[in-house]
Amino acid sequence: MFAQLFDRVDADPGAKKDIDHSGLIGEWVNTNPQTTGIARMEMNELEGELRLRVLAIGPDGLIDWGMAKVEMFASTPSSHDGAGFSCSFDFGFAETRLQGMIMKGLLVLAIFNVFEDDSRRMDYFVREYFALEHGRY
Amino acid sequence: MNTSAYKQMGHLNPALTDPATRTLNAEKLTGRWLNTNRDTRGVAELIIKCDDNRFTVTAFGAGAEGPIKWPVVAAKVLANLEEEAGQRAVALAAVFEFGFMRAETYLRVNKGVLVIVLYNTFLDGSGRSNYVTREFYYRPD
Repeated sequence: MFAQLFDRVDADPGAKKDIDHSGLIGEWVNTNPQTTGIARMEMNELEGELRLRVLAIGPDGLIDWGMAKVEMFASTPSSHDGAGFSCSFDFGFAETRLQGMIMKGLLVLAIFNVFEDDSRRMDYFVREYFALEHGRY
Repeated sequence: MNTSAYKQMGHLNPALTDPATRTLNAEKLTGRWLNTNRDTRGVAELIIKCDDNRFTVTAFGAGAEGPIKWPVVAAKVLANLEEEAGQRAVALAAVFEFGFMRAETYLRVNKGVLVIVLYNTFLDGSGRSNYVTREFYYRPD
């Protein structure tokens, strides 16, 4: 079945379906030193699955959000090369969903913040850029 | 003193409780949008409507024998506070459920161009990889 031509590919239901996430593993730092959101992210493999740890800007230093399981996305339905990911953090008072795409070595992160408390804050969206710390230079 | 719960400083941005934020440049999103790539294999056209601050999105996927109309969905409105060049507007998030696949998208306008990023997740065991696309749209009129 398909909803757009992109979806129409020959695929083998029995084939190994894992999408390569090796290009995401490492420490990603926000390119904006003035951010009020996520400062850095750590991508690690745990038992074959990708996990993301987030550290965000707080009033007295970084706030550790803990780890979340990452869902991987390829660039086409017939590819197994990692092109993006998504994951969620549920804080009780709010849920933050992250959707990332790799573009020319940059990680472009869409961040959706949905409030679930009675603070009357509006849900909001932020897009930020992260670079992989490679330690080469 | 702000006593709201937070996990990042952005959660405490005063603009989030400013009533003006809810309607910020909403008109920039509404209307008919066509893919800038006439040969797209993805979403060819979008129609975004807003009634009483409730947004709906109609999408048309590129098909072999013409456009495929997707189910009309309600969109979640999000303040978009940190777009480039100080532009402030609302962004939309929408989820299309097809049974065999779920397509999650966010939509925003940047300098007159509608940008959508679509995260497609297959639910049918067909062996297809979940995939992400980014496409651009212009107003035909």
